[in-house]
Amino acid sequence: MDNIFELHDVTFAYNPRFPPILNGFSMNIERGVRTAILGCNGAGKTTFFNTLTGVNKPQAGEVLYNGEQIEYTKAGLMKVREDVAVVLQNPDEQIFCSLVEEDVAFGPLNIGLDREEVERRVDRALKDVRMVGFNRRPLQQLSGGQRKRVAIAGALAMQPKLMIMDEPTAGLDPQAAVEVMELAEKMALKGVTVLISTHDIDLAYKWADRSNVLLNGKIDFVGSSDDFYVNAENVYECGLLAPSIFNTNKEVSAIKKMDMAPFPHNMAEFVAKFGASKRSGKLCLVPTTVEDCVAKFEEMTKDVKDAAVGIYGSEVRFELLDRDIEFMFEGLESCFTQAVKGRDAILFYDEIYAPTIQKQIDRIKEFGFDLDYEVVA
Amino acid sequence: MTDGILKADKVVYSYSRKGPKVLNEMCIDIPKGKKTALLGCNGAGKSTLFSVLNALYKPNDGVVYYDGKSLTYKHKDIIKMRTDVSILFQNPNDMMFKPYVWQDVAFGPENLKLPKEEVQKRVDEALFTVGMEKYRESPIMKLSYGQRKRVTLAGVLAMEPSVLIMDEPTAGLDPQMAYEVMEIAEQLNSKGVTVVMSSHDTDLTYSWADEIRVLDGGKCMYAGAPEPFYSDHRMVQKAGLMRPSVFMMNKALSDLGRCDLEPFPKTQTQLAVKISDCADREFGKLYIVKVDRDVDIEPVLESNSLKGKSTGVYGISTRISLNRTGFVPDFYYNGPENCTMKCLDGHDAVLLCDPSMVATARSSVDFINSNGYGNITVQEIDPKA
Repeated sequence: MDNIFELHDVTFAYNPRFPPILNGFSMNIERGVRTAILGCNGAGKTTFFNTLTGVNKPQAGEVLYNGEQIEYTKAGLMKVREDVAVVLQNPDEQIFCSLVEEDVAFGPLNIGLDREEVERRVDRALKDVRMVGFNRRPLQQLSGGQRKRVAIAGALAMQPKLMIMDEPTAGLDPQAAVEVMELAEKMALKGVTVLISTHDIDLAYKWADRSNVLLNGKIDFVGSSDDFYVNAENVYECGLLAPSIFNTNKEVSAIKKMDMAPFPHNMAEFVAKFGASKRSGKLCLVPTTVEDCVAKFEEMTKDVKDAAVGIYGSEVRFELLDRDIEFMFEGLESCFTQAVKGRDAILFYDEIYAPTIQKQIDRIKEFGFDLDYEVVA
Repeated sequence: MTDGILKADKVVYSYSRKGPKVLNEMCIDIPKGKKTALLGCNGAGKSTLFSVLNALYKPNDGVVYYDGKSLTYKHKDIIKMRTDVSILFQNPNDMMFKPYVWQDVAFGPENLKLPKEEVQKRVDEALFTVGMEKYRESPIMKLSYGQRKRVTLAGVLAMEPSVLIMDEPTAGLDPQMAYEVMEIAEQLNSKGVTVVMSSHDTDLTYSWADEIRVLDGGKCMYAGAPEPFYSDHRMVQKAGLMRPSVFMMNKALSDLGRCDLEPFPKTQTQLAVKISDCADREFGKLYIVKVDRDVDIEPVLESNSLKGKSTGVYGISTRISLNRTGFVPDFYYNGPENCTMKCLDGHDAVLLCDPSMVATARSSVDFINSNGYGNITVQEIDPKA
């Protein structure tokens, strides 16, 4: 296994007179795996994150970064922090500057990038979080959700190898939350290891390959989310509740005397399992780039009357923001759902998401549904 | 608009003279005694509206009404307003003043010049309600974010307001705590408190709210029942929101002809029953035992021959009794839903329920029985009768 971080038997206490927050804590973070960090308030999630970035120096145990022990010197920590970006739960704890663009540029400037590169990254990042036009706005005049987006932009601009997001969607409105998860997915596809802690179990359930569950400063569970939620008693002890789609699947399967597996993780899979149309709608999947997405959109939607239209990805969304599009957000899930329901659908997506789309096609097949789709290159 | 306990009429507010109008001729009413969810994207004006409705901000233009009277912003008026209308802010650090937990909770009631014993009683009760009674003497600095959030909630409860405004009450809370907060909100409402809540968790508010108000660009774009709003996908998208998952699953399956669109299920259990087509099977029986704080649970179960059946809890009086007697239920969270599910599965279940919460506890069973999705017999048991 290729681990970006390994923690062996780590003990950490903020104050030696109080019980340690991390207590004989061991965990591997595998490179490239979408990992959700779950646990109730006080389980040690944030302390664990601060241990990864070297903010907390453990009293015992070792922290290995790329197989080497972290050195708690200025140079040693700098090495870790160039690669590891963190989005804190409370944006006000990581916003330093008075203007939006200054704040996003702060990290990249600090690692010695030249002005032009920094500007490029700032523009890209503000586009990704849909905060274009806010460059010169004072941060204190922004709402909580807007400040959170700026904080995320700051982390994106660092182009990290490991992205830690502590409650990235808390305080964000539902559409912004969907966008953040799209960004997390994009980073994962670019090879960034993404670690997300969240209390939004529905969100984590849709996104994560793996769930690592913390309880009282120790690791309680590592594995697939389904294996975790199946054990209701343990879920309860960890201070968590199962995601709503997991519960609904469990209840309907029980009443209908069906097998719980395969587990639907989103609406399209749920409908495929419990009520799919006999005939699939025709699903057109259209990968796009910044240059060609407007032309492709106009061409493909010209003679369309009844088909659903959806988009997925920040680039295509930015270019088509002023169009009348049925599924401007969660387009991937919505278009697949429509097809499963028997309605034609066209999905425009940033081309980088091709593997995510393929994964969804394969998943729908697992539910025994014969999806009629075509990738329009 | 007549029974609105709080009303804003063409209210305008901006944070600086040249700044944008955060509230732009906002007209909104909050119905008395109901549960209202305030929705809208980041920057729509939710938190600003709350501060205006609590007389923290004075509008640049327009009128705020409380209980039918327009607010004059005289000192006496403002004090009355803030005594009756309490706000739980999104960020707990914005509303903690004192070094120790109990002092912080006592701060509000002491300001009301209540007798010392009354303050004590309210502090103890409020800390228990939020599950923080063990932290009474703890320094606030040592508490985690979620714990602080609970302490601030206790501070608001201790004020015993007639209107409770909650700004994102579950943000930053783990799922079990979020559930507890919603149960507390439900409980207060059952005692007649008007509860208004803003939340980005549309799933959570959908099962909870009687009414929704949707803000967009400093105006109220929708007021009414949740379903007509969520049925209009374009309007939802424009407001920066997403539809609740239970609503969507129901809609998807009804579009496919697997079930009718109405009645709208509000919870997972209601949805599961509606789409499972199981009306002709054997159902278990649901016993709802009214457990006030002084009721001993074990003897009641014994004398009604209910021992050995699955048990769930619901409501604060029952939780106090549970705490006192050490009784361990099968379902500590989501009692009504879990017990209903047991009955659907053909087993009997016992719901230990706060006497004031019975109507809410029955909502899923009533949904099932009255719509012909099943036939679950309910027996209410009152040990004090």
